[in-house]
Amino acid sequence: MRILLAEDDPLLGDGLKAGLGQRGFQVDWVRDGEAAERELRARNHEAAVLDLGLPRKDGLDVLAHVRRAGVATPLLVLTARDTVPDRVRGLDSGADDYVLKPVDVDELAARLRALVRRAHGRPEERLEAHGVVLDPAARAVRKDGAEVTLQAREFDLLHALMLNAGRVLSREQLERHLYRWGQEVESNAVEVHVHNLRRKLGAELVRTVRGIGYILPRDERAR
Amino acid sequence: MIRSLRGRVLALVLGLVATVWVATALATWLDARHELDELLDGHLAQAAALLVVQQAHGIEEEHEVDAPSLHRYAPKVAFQVFHEGRLVLRSENAPRHPMLEPGRFHDGFRTVRIDGVDWRVFSTQGRENDVQVYVGEQVASRSSILLAALRGALWPLALALPTLGLGAWWAVRRGVAPLRRLGMTLDRREPQALEPVALPDAPLEVAPVVAALNRLFERIRTLLESERRFTADAAHELRTPIAAIRAQAQVALAETDDAQRRRALEGTLAGCDRLVRLVEQLLTLSRLEAASGGEMTLVDLASVARRAVAELAPRAIAKDQALDFRAEGACPVRGEETLLGVLARNLVDNAVRYAPRGAKVEVGAQHMNEHVVLRVEDSGPGMGEPERRRLGERFFRVAGTGENGSGLGWSIVRRIAATHGLQVKVERSKRLGGLAVEVSGPAAG
Repeated sequence: MRILLAEDDPLLGDGLKAGLGQRGFQVDWVRDGEAAERELRARNHEAAVLDLGLPRKDGLDVLAHVRRAGVATPLLVLTARDTVPDRVRGLDSGADDYVLKPVDVDELAARLRALVRRAHGRPEERLEAHGVVLDPAARAVRKDGAEVTLQAREFDLLHALMLNAGRVLSREQLERHLYRWGQEVESNAVEVHVHNLRRKLGAELVRTVRGIGYILPRDERAR
Repeated sequence: MIRSLRGRVLALVLGLVATVWVATALATWLDARHELDELLDGHLAQAAALLVVQQAHGIEEEHEVDAPSLHRYAPKVAFQVFHEGRLVLRSENAPRHPMLEPGRFHDGFRTVRIDGVDWRVFSTQGRENDVQVYVGEQVASRSSILLAALRGALWPLALALPTLGLGAWWAVRRGVAPLRRLGMTLDRREPQALEPVALPDAPLEVAPVVAALNRLFERIRTLLESERRFTADAAHELRTPIAAIRAQAQVALAETDDAQRRRALEGTLAGCDRLVRLVEQLLTLSRLEAASGGEMTLVDLASVARRAVAELAPRAIAKDQALDFRAEGACPVRGEETLLGVLARNLVDNAVRYAPRGAKVEVGAQHMNEHVVLRVEDSGPGMGEPERRRLGERFFRVAGTGENGSGLGWSIVRRIAATHGLQVKVERSKRLGGLAVEVSGPAAG
């Protein structure tokens, strides 16, 4: 899952990027408000962690501006400002969650997953379709009760497809889910990962829509 | 010493009134007695004159005559007429011997004691020397006349005294009412209340007190407010480094790759160092704000700066920076040596910290035209006008430096400069292209 981290503190930003990376997130890190707004407007991320005390543009302004621009990305505000009026203002400006520093990395990861899940209209953390169960927190996948071992990118690809079940995702969209900045995208990586998923979980799970991309059909029974 | 203002004013006024009253009464008494004495003495003399005239024309009998007493007041008055040493005429209550010793007093007024009673006696001789006339009057009767006469005048005065006292008490009470109101207003205030005291009808004498109080309240309010804001700011600023330490530690805990784990642990340590520095700076600043006026001595700013440069030289060398110190003679200023040391160290530290690897940092101390100047220049990136203006705001950090500054160094520098009456100027270094900071003030001694 690719997320945006906007944090100006070098050490904290580095720690959160590494910590969230360990927990299966692809993290893009920006250090000021203007960059954060630019990235949010590009809508490349499933969610974003936003520090309020950002240089160049205050986090609250970024929030208000991107929400006015129609950006629906789930936004988690991470801040040192802990008074109730601060929190109310943060949530009212369009934040989906408000977390006070210092934050536990596991909790931050769980909150981000919850935000993304809710953004896709799913009340449950575990995703299930066609006998395949994906647990984002444990980064585990089961097929008909038996655990299946997936590579990190295969897992991310399946996660993206299951979150968007019933919707066609283009190859570019999928690549954006898999790679953060600076990572070289191998030319046919998506095809390779899809191939592996089919091999491990069954050929029918992921369908190819020729010339457009891939779809994981909605499982009416599972809903 | 009466501590109540009202009591004091009252005691003074009443004491004064009473003194004046007694003096007035005494003067009246003396004056009236004098007038009365004159009048009655005149009567005595008149009576004596009548007797002398009568003696010359009338009574030739050689035997003694007792004049009848005609009025109940008569016993208070007595007379005697002697002819050739023999009593020839006397009032009923007069003694038989002369009222005054014969031979010694022939003429004029005398006060004598006869049978335990004081008499005022006028004696005179007739046309011939063989007749001696005495006319006397009891002194006590004079006193009762005097009392009766004065009673009318003194009664109203005696009544006036308590009335005046009551009036004075009321007037003083009214007069000091604003003071009492001020006292009550202050007494009723909440101990924490710091809003100004409102006393709309405060008299001129009390107004300075109220104004001074309000200025004091205002000063305390500002002080508390800045204290509160400082604590809140500090709490916020501590959260970020703590969050960083926590995140790095968690990364290290979950990391399986040794190199990555090592990196995260190093990050944790760096976070701790930074936190320590931040706390130290906070303590310095709070000490600066709490204490004003340590011991000001004659300090050589040049040697203070030299020590700061020596202290930070290892860091500059580690960054391949050329740290250069130049001083022309001594630069004496009045100040606290430790504080000036903190100031110099912060300036040099800022330059070394924010100038990049391989940069030049020059520190100079100069004494010229009665002025002492400490100048720190670097060849670093410098900063724009908006950032220069915000320097010294607490916790303001210049964006994008990649340095873990506390954002307090400048607050500390400005604070110390202000307490020493030094000017701080921040500009672009014309020689090195980076930031130039100049601290200047009048030379001492």
